[in-house]
Amino acid sequence: MSVVKEFTKGFWQELPPFRLVLGLCPTLAVTTAAENGVGMGLATTFVLVFSNVLVSILRKLIPSKVRIASYIVVIASFVVMAELLLQAYWYPMYKALGIFVPLIVVNCIILGRAEAFASKNPIIHSFADGLGIGLGFTLSLTVLGSIREILGNGTIFGTSVMWSTFEPLKFMVKAPGAFVCLGFLLGLMNIISRRRPAH
Amino acid sequence: MRDLIKMVVVLLVICTTSGVVLSYVNEATIAPREYQYIKFVQEPSIKAVLSDYDNDPVKDRMQLNLGEDQEGNPVEKVVFPAKKDGKTFEVAYSAAAKGYHGPIEVMVGVDPEGTLTGISIMTHSETPGLGARIVEPKFTEQFAGLDLETTKLSAEGGKVDAVSGATFSTLGVITAVDDALEQFPQIKKEIF
Repeated sequence: MSVVKEFTKGFWQELPPFRLVLGLCPTLAVTTAAENGVGMGLATTFVLVFSNVLVSILRKLIPSKVRIASYIVVIASFVVMAELLLQAYWYPMYKALGIFVPLIVVNCIILGRAEAFASKNPIIHSFADGLGIGLGFTLSLTVLGSIREILGNGTIFGTSVMWSTFEPLKFMVKAPGAFVCLGFLLGLMNIISRRRPAH
Repeated sequence: MRDLIKMVVVLLVICTTSGVVLSYVNEATIAPREYQYIKFVQEPSIKAVLSDYDNDPVKDRMQLNLGEDQEGNPVEKVVFPAKKDGKTFEVAYSAAAKGYHGPIEVMVGVDPEGTLTGISIMTHSETPGLGARIVEPKFTEQFAGLDLETTKLSAEGGKVDAVSGATFSTLGVITAVDDALEQFPQIKKEIF
């Protein structure tokens, strides 16, 4: 497959939370606002791109018996780095994401890409794959966060967008709203992909 | 056997590299992390306890060395001076004490006579609805104008009314403020 195709597959065919239904824990938990979705997505993309590249570089050196342990060390190192950088340069986001930044370590998308893709493919392809999947994940979280923020708070990225008499549906920014919203989005994606058969 | 050695060596190298790189990143981000913490956690409280200054207390902050504690560890304190026309007239600094659940961190503002200009609770983990009410202005406003003598519960001859149902949380705040005021003579020597 070409590098371009590895990149673009992350936006539809293998869109992590909606098509593969992977990485749902942060998807449901942090998307209370559009901005949090962007922050979480970018932190995950950072980890995904670097761990993919490094795993790809090391793929011939790592013995297969200890590969998962090696991948986890690589991923965990980048997660700690992401956490320190967030804390140093984007403190409000660090506070808003809380425990979900360290939990990127156990995000199955990242280990999944390392195991299924980066350990078998050259560096450039792994980079494109990580970036595509990461940005797809960011986009998904931003869409979900925007919908929940608009309906639950009447704002998007903190700016008011609804009419003045709009009564926010408070439950949309709580846990049940995440499930309801995700369910509708998954249903919508299924309808679209049925009409548009896979190539 | 060769496989085993290879596995051990590869994992060892990966873990060591990871450790070295992370300690470097940790070192490199200490200053910006401290700055962000001051800006987002301490600055709102500093603004709340100081008044009528024309400098930037965070930028003008000073690290003071206040001798040693009982165990011989050096006591250091970061103070935020409020200046007007280049003259320091108030100072803010933080202190912490044990509350009901965990530490309560308090920012205090003090004038040169050792009188409180105000206090603000920065972090705490008290019970919502009970101890957590120590952050309410109704409670914190009582402290303005008090000194070391009068910062006691009103039941003990002081001027602080406890938050009802939260004596331990109230005592935590009072202890923190008392500690801060006890350090004041030393701070006064250094800055006023």
